Amino acid sequence: MGLVTWARTRSPWLIHFNAGACNACDIEVVAVLTPTYDVERFGALLKGTPRHADVMVVTGSVPRKNAPRLKRIYDQMPEPKFVVAIGSCAISGGVFQDCYNVMEGVDKIIPVNAYVVGCPPKPEAILDGVVKLLKSAGY
Amino acid sequence: MSDREFSVIIGPQHPALKEPASFLFKVDGEVVVDVEPRIGYNHRGIEKAMEARTYIQNLYIIERVCGICSNAHQTNYCQTVEEVAGIQAPLRANYIRVFMSELERIHSHLLWVGVAAHEIGFDTLFYYVWRDREVVMDLLEMISGNRVNYAMNTIGGVRRDLSKDNFPKYHKMLDILGERTKFYANIATHEKTILDRAAGVGYLSKVDMKRLCGSGPNARASGVDYDVRRDLPHLAYDEVPFNVITNDGGDVLANVLVRIGETIESVGMCKYVLDHLPEGPTREKFSPMAKVPEGEAVGYFEAQRGELIHYFQSRGDVKPYRYKIRAPTLGNIPSLVEKLKGGYIADIPIVLAGIDPCFSCTDRMVFVDEDKGKTWDMDGEQLRRYGIEWYK
Amino acid sequence: MSALDENVKVVERLTEAIGKENVIEVKTPRARRAFIRIKVEKLREAVTYLKEKEGITHLSTITGLDLGEEREIVYHFGAKNLALSVKVRVPASDPKVPSITDIINGATLYEREVHDLVGVYPEGHPDPKRLLLSEDWPEGVHPLLKTWDVNSLRKRVDGKEW
Repeated sequence: MGLVTWARTRSPWLIHFNAGACNACDIEVVAVLTPTYDVERFGALLKGTPRHADVMVVTGSVPRKNAPRLKRIYDQMPEPKFVVAIGSCAISGGVFQDCYNVMEGVDKIIPVNAYVVGCPPKPEAILDGVVKLLKSAGY
Repeated sequence: MSDREFSVIIGPQHPALKEPASFLFKVDGEVVVDVEPRIGYNHRGIEKAMEARTYIQNLYIIERVCGICSNAHQTNYCQTVEEVAGIQAPLRANYIRVFMSELERIHSHLLWVGVAAHEIGFDTLFYYVWRDREVVMDLLEMISGNRVNYAMNTIGGVRRDLSKDNFPKYHKMLDILGERTKFYANIATHEKTILDRAAGVGYLSKVDMKRLCGSGPNARASGVDYDVRRDLPHLAYDEVPFNVITNDGGDVLANVLVRIGETIESVGMCKYVLDHLPEGPTREKFSPMAKVPEGEAVGYFEAQRGELIHYFQSRGDVKPYRYKIRAPTLGNIPSLVEKLKGGYIADIPIVLAGIDPCFSCTDRMVFVDEDKGKTWDMDGEQLRRYGIEWYK
Repeated sequence: MSALDENVKVVERLTEAIGKENVIEVKTPRARRAFIRIKVEKLREAVTYLKEKEGITHLSTITGLDLGEEREIVYHFGAKNLALSVKVRVPASDPKVPSITDIINGATLYEREVHDLVGVYPEGHPDPKRLLLSEDWPEGVHPLLKTWDVNSLRKRVDGKEW
């Protein structure tokens, strides 16, 4: 594995995007940063801008108004980039299937690399998802 | 109107929860002149979806209107439907509902204190508070099986009971929470970092707050004495003693003090419920395909962010005819707009966080300098740091 | 019981203030709740009366519903020991209602929401822009009307690019 890949997988900088979620998954994503679960030991930092990020963490069922914004933020991330879809809503619309304004799944808009199931998934599950993603990228 | 006025679209992106929303600010130099809120990024069409599902199915979709106030929405739904269906939930069920609601209030206010601390750059306090918040998350998980979205309620009562064997452990955890919250109350009133950024910032008078129909801790921080638990009593709130915390400050510091005060009150209420829980059944029967007779009802509830109102009309079917939900933050937006006017750009993140919105902003901020013909980007993280630097 | 009487008394005083012939229906199902349906022409007068003479200024929200031939708009007021709901009905062929934003400033977002979802236009509203629906949502398609269900809405809206 080259030096660059080694460096990349040991410092995945995250950006968190809420695409119309109810906030339950979002607070579990923030809880992953706190000392009890501590994702920073994997080198992950939460950044505020897509231009510095490697991994986008998406929650939410993507209402129609939100979809172009999601695509725009994804486009602004530099390659190589990964997307993790957190929660049932991001995977398939969750409990909001058959709602008129909902696009039912993040992978209808952008390609997704990892899915973390739950409503909301526990912080341990989110950590597990991030680590599995890093392993598949060559950690 | 000076020739230095320009428009700025803001969506401070946040590492903490908030729903997507964006604001268009008209600024004159460093001062905000006007604000236009733009919402709708989180509009999922829940009210329409509820008309196509039975009453028991709706319990689960209404819980997910908001993840932080999930129990508030579900409890209000149950009490509103029970009123029309003519069911009276047993007293033990109402006490347990009060217990869950107050635990949720503790979790939400502690979450907010951490987020507000992060906004002003005080990350140490953010991590300390969220570590202590894990105590209440453990307590919720012990009782209901999940940290968020507890699904404790059903139409007619509660689905799970509290077992007396666990009460000593619950008491101990509540004591820890109470003690840590008092420690944070001390910090909030004495720590210079917080006082500099929060005192006098985002002020709104009592008259203006009443005129704009704000509610919840946001309104109580401006001296408006309105608390749905006391003024429109529901569940068992008329039997559980508590104080309504108000503060005449009207600024962000007042918001902090009101919320911390309420957390301490909630710990006291939870302990009271554990000591005085009446015996009896925990639910009345309501079958999954039952029809609710024709009628209408209005359900009021004091959610963590303010007054929550549900309006329900039934036509005698297995599905509701119309169910209307108004979450507290929508009611607080007009007062938020007034608070932002006349303030500095650097104050925007803390005032926005100060009303405890259920917002997460997706747009990023674009600056347009019309004189020089340049545009440049600044995102939420930079805006937050801008605010911290500005105050150094 | 004084709490039960309070809601009945407020409704009686409101009826007297706007005139008995303008009140169509009154319900006081339990303590602290009252529902009153009045003619839409008297809406502004009723709200002004509640604000100035009864001190009821807190508007909790505005609900819109589709009753087929008519649309019903409900104004929910919250006060100490009283939740009062004032209802008006407008014909579906001409769905508009006078705005009360100048009397109760907090009504501005609620009226825009009702317009988006049920199609009732607030006349005299200072800024009746779209609130919840996306910019490219077609005009005149109001999701909460009973004529639409999820599939027909999707078919109607999805044809366009977002």
